[in-house]
Amino acid sequence: MENVFTTDREKFRPYNSPEEFDRIVYYNSVGEMWENCVKEYAQRTAIEDDGKKYTYEQLEEQASFLRPRFGEGKRVALLCPNSYDFVKAYLAIVTSGSTAVILPPQLPPEAVFGCCMKLGANMLAYHPALSEKLATVKAAAPQFPLVDITEAAAKKKDTVLSKPTDPCVVMFTGGTTGRSKGALLNHRAVIEGTVNGCYGVGHVFGQRYMLILPLSHVFGLIRNLMTCLYTGSAMFICRSNKDMFRDIATFRPTIMVMVPALAEMALTLSRKFGRNMLGDDLKYIICGAAAVSPYLIEEYPKMGISLLAGYGLTESANLVSGNPNSVGKPESVGIPYPNQQLRIVNGELWLKGDNMMDGYVGDEAENAAAYEDGWFKTGDLVKIDGDGYLYITGRSKEIIVLANGENVSPAEVEARFNTPAFIADTQVFEDVLPNGTHILALEAVPRATELKGIEGDVKEYITKELEKINATLPPYQRVSRIEIRDTDFERTPSMKIVRYHKCK
Amino acid sequence: MNRAEITEKLKDILQSASDDAETAEKCKDETKLQTELGLSSVDMLYMVIAIEETFDIRFDDVTVTSFETFGDVVTYIENKLK
Repeated sequence: MENVFTTDREKFRPYNSPEEFDRIVYYNSVGEMWENCVKEYAQRTAIEDDGKKYTYEQLEEQASFLRPRFGEGKRVALLCPNSYDFVKAYLAIVTSGSTAVILPPQLPPEAVFGCCMKLGANMLAYHPALSEKLATVKAAAPQFPLVDITEAAAKKKDTVLSKPTDPCVVMFTGGTTGRSKGALLNHRAVIEGTVNGCYGVGHVFGQRYMLILPLSHVFGLIRNLMTCLYTGSAMFICRSNKDMFRDIATFRPTIMVMVPALAEMALTLSRKFGRNMLGDDLKYIICGAAAVSPYLIEEYPKMGISLLAGYGLTESANLVSGNPNSVGKPESVGIPYPNQQLRIVNGELWLKGDNMMDGYVGDEAENAAAYEDGWFKTGDLVKIDGDGYLYITGRSKEIIVLANGENVSPAEVEARFNTPAFIADTQVFEDVLPNGTHILALEAVPRATELKGIEGDVKEYITKELEKINATLPPYQRVSRIEIRDTDFERTPSMKIVRYHKCK
Repeated sequence: MNRAEITEKLKDILQSASDDAETAEKCKDETKLQTELGLSSVDMLYMVIAIEETFDIRFDDVTVTSFETFGDVVTYIENKLK
């Protein structure tokens, strides 16, 4: 077939330390990988959280007492904030022959049961800190099994060695269409994603990671947690991002996985206070989940830190490509990782590979739209240069990817702003201010007939009402500017809004 | 430290995170952080961390998005320094 690209893992060899490159091996399942980690790194610290340290051996011991609570061949929804308990429960589920359905902890209480049903969960494992979110589950299905992950079973159970094709995790994603769905990753895909995190990072074994990303996101779960465990590294869990720099001073991480907006913030703070806020031990920033500006790639080495950009999707177990030579090719998202096939069709990237998901759970319409001839259509527009480096040239369709990595589906947010009767229609879009800052903005068309009898400034009234709605949205969906239009939007022949593309 | 001094330092913090040369001038007590200054959630986080460094105070575990206006933040710092 024309235009099919693959990469040999040897392409990464020059960028890893020679003695470490040959330690990068593949396992058949997370269970097999984890058994090996416990054997090889038993006494090393695996997790540091809330003032306590847990070795690999201790983590396994505690996970083994949780395994019996999940059974085998079950699909277990996990609702838990970033914490040691999350790591323990997640490992216990996926190494007991069951599948973990990772629910974002910020999920509204009324959505928890619906998500469990949609994603085919047989039980819900929860942290008591989030027990107030269980009311709708208890009301809708009093018999639905609920498991408090802080309560161990009486007996322990050993690791179950799953097959590579067995399901491992279901991760939430907006995907290429923006509608929430669950991507099912099998053990092989999770292992591929985990191993891919090692390629191109000079020294990746025995490192010190700090977790600031949510574990309910693939970048946090796979690149941060899984690659950390795979390499016998330690992970400090930062409970509150505002304490990040104090935590850095204490824990002294050597690798951090972060989104570009946070990397930029850390750089600005370091300049303002005249010292490296990320600490002198930090050697690598793994940066992705949104476009990484070449400016960051060029500035960080001045502080002795390599900022390595990459590209990935939830559907590809996070990592599609990583740039081991960021400084040489700052515009690129790197070399595609091995065991994938890439095809460029009309500029759009299509993927096949061991890291790819098995599909969206229970969503035939989304699956039908996402694949063609067995290829997953990413919706991202790309090009590949003569050296095999990948470049993202645009995002197709409507998804807005903010600088902090959050995906915003305009339609989802607009639906909220369209609720008052006096609003005829709205458009949410990304705009760029004269100073270069990217913001999420809203324009609204009022419905005049519904505004009769409003005294005073009508536009001011509408703006205030929309601001109230804005305040109820999750922070990443909130708009930074509201404008009330005097005229309708430009429309297509089928009366759809002609969307603004101010940042493309 | 009086309110005017706090106000000036906070303006300086917000200006340092912004490419817009007029950010400091726009900061009045009633100026809305998100809709008028265009602060994102990461900008708000920057503000909180920079305030803690500058004033040597610790924010309570409130979400950073609970501040609506510039004046709210000045008042919060003022109370913390008392």
